[in-house]
Amino acid sequence: MLKSKTRETIVSYFFLAPFLAIFASFLLYPIFYSFYLSFRTVSPTTDMFSVFTDMKFVGFSNYLRLLKDFDFWWSLVSTGYYAVLYIPLSIAASLMLAILLNNQLKGHSLFRSAYFLPNVLDMFVVGIIWLFIYAPHYGILDRILTQLGITYFAEKGVLANGKTAMLGVVAALVLKNAGFGMILFLSAIQNISVSIYEAADIDGANEWQKFKSITLPLVVPIILFLIITGTIGALNAFAEIYAMTGGGPQMVVAGKTVGATNVSGYYLFRQFERMNYGDAAAISYFLLAITLVISYINVKLLHRK
Amino acid sequence: MSQVQGQKTVVFVKSLILYLFMSVGAVFVLFPFFWMIFVAVKPEGQAFSLTVSFAKPLWKNFISIWCDPSYPFWRFFINSVIVATSGGILTTLFCAMGGYVFAKKDFYGKNILFWFLLSTMMIPGMMFLVPQFAIITKLDWINTYRGMVLPHVASVFGIFLMRQYIETVPTSLIESAKIDGASELQIFGKIIIPLSSAVMTTLFLLTFLFHWSNFLWHLVVNTPDSSKLTIPVGLALFRGQYQMDWEKMMAASCFAIIPIVIIFLIAQKFFIEGLTTGAVKE
Repeated sequence: MLKSKTRETIVSYFFLAPFLAIFASFLLYPIFYSFYLSFRTVSPTTDMFSVFTDMKFVGFSNYLRLLKDFDFWWSLVSTGYYAVLYIPLSIAASLMLAILLNNQLKGHSLFRSAYFLPNVLDMFVVGIIWLFIYAPHYGILDRILTQLGITYFAEKGVLANGKTAMLGVVAALVLKNAGFGMILFLSAIQNISVSIYEAADIDGANEWQKFKSITLPLVVPIILFLIITGTIGALNAFAEIYAMTGGGPQMVVAGKTVGATNVSGYYLFRQFERMNYGDAAAISYFLLAITLVISYINVKLLHRK
Repeated sequence: MSQVQGQKTVVFVKSLILYLFMSVGAVFVLFPFFWMIFVAVKPEGQAFSLTVSFAKPLWKNFISIWCDPSYPFWRFFINSVIVATSGGILTTLFCAMGGYVFAKKDFYGKNILFWFLLSTMMIPGMMFLVPQFAIITKLDWINTYRGMVLPHVASVFGIFLMRQYIETVPTSLIESAKIDGASELQIFGKIIIPLSSAVMTTLFLLTFLFHWSNFLWHLVVNTPDSSKLTIPVGLALFRGQYQMDWEKMMAASCFAIIPIVIIFLIAQKFFIEGLTTGAVKE
């Protein structure tokens, strides 16, 4: 008879085997494999039928080239811009919806479903619909605004204008994802005891004071969670860009032509598409480094409390 | 008396205002969805017209999307269903097995392994694009279902969700089954699975959805002439062809979106519970 913990260990790893096999081959191994590829490049002599086994070793030159590449730096800037627009807007929208829904009116659960629904839809397809809504001249948004006397979008629409393209993408995303944050906020708000609010009422607090002193402090963990997921979302942004702007429109920044919505995820994909696998792998290591720094900051913030 | 009435009026006006705001919110959030349907039922070439006119019969665009020989839409649809269903089933099964031992067993390396798995959740998915593609190429899994599904069935979120839930299953049930001579597989199959069927449904739905919308990966693993294209990738590759036919494009979009809406409306309790468990109860 085996020792009981040894036996449990054998049984446990038997149950874990399918998961761990997939995890190891398609998630763990790729992290190292990507590192290996980031020091190699597809050269003219590379055999196109076994590209990945026949890439040439080039040392750090992929990393060094990226550091000198204006497009790469721009992709980080535009990812930051994406995050800076998306995170506060989506948190504000989610919180607003949650506060609106925090009542016992008839049909409130129907509204809850309505707000949450877009969250489960396919990002690429939703992006295509927005492309149609945002179109210049014929698109519904421009038509409504023209009726109201705003002709700003008449020529280029929302997405072909470097000034508004990112905002257009982010607005579509906020409306799609607000329901997710709303559900989280709602469950936190409903956990707050009614008696706390009643006590505040007796003390003569107004709605804003109650929100600021009672509700807000209790939803801080959720705000932090949404900041983390929003940051990862910005680093992963792809389908929405691919559907709506293709990284464009072109605009001039510091004398260089760049794509207004060329975020790092899309930039990585473009390198991949051009078979610059080594560069793409090096970009993913830069992104990983950025993620680690951001998570470190977040953990510090969480533990300060 | 009049004071009571006054209070009633205040409450009535208050809820009226709330309803107004809630409706405005719903209009904003659901607008793309309604606009898609509105355009999908328009007559040919009138996608941009704002007059309320409908195709005859109403479902004309849907039929023509479905029957167009140069655009095998039924194929995309079947592929999407196969990929999402198999992805959902495999993820749910593997995560249930893993979540069970993390919840109920004491084994060497348990804590460090669990901590390690959770820490990988922070890695941006974009990071895996190149190496996963390289692996799939080497395995010669381009244009296959297994290439589209298998790399994405190891869900750490799923392990976490299952563990959270299975921890609430009474250990005494497992102990008494053991005394009755049940094998490990019997315990898992006859006690754990039936008792956690609710959370397994949740996980299945969430991962079904993930695989249904796993756009970038499906785009990368398939060549444009693949017979395994899913709906969104099909839409993307054939975008050029239908660029002028927005009403057809929107009809095709309906096929990607409406099945998910139906599933959501039937099973929204599972979606919402799963997401709140995963995010908040840490």
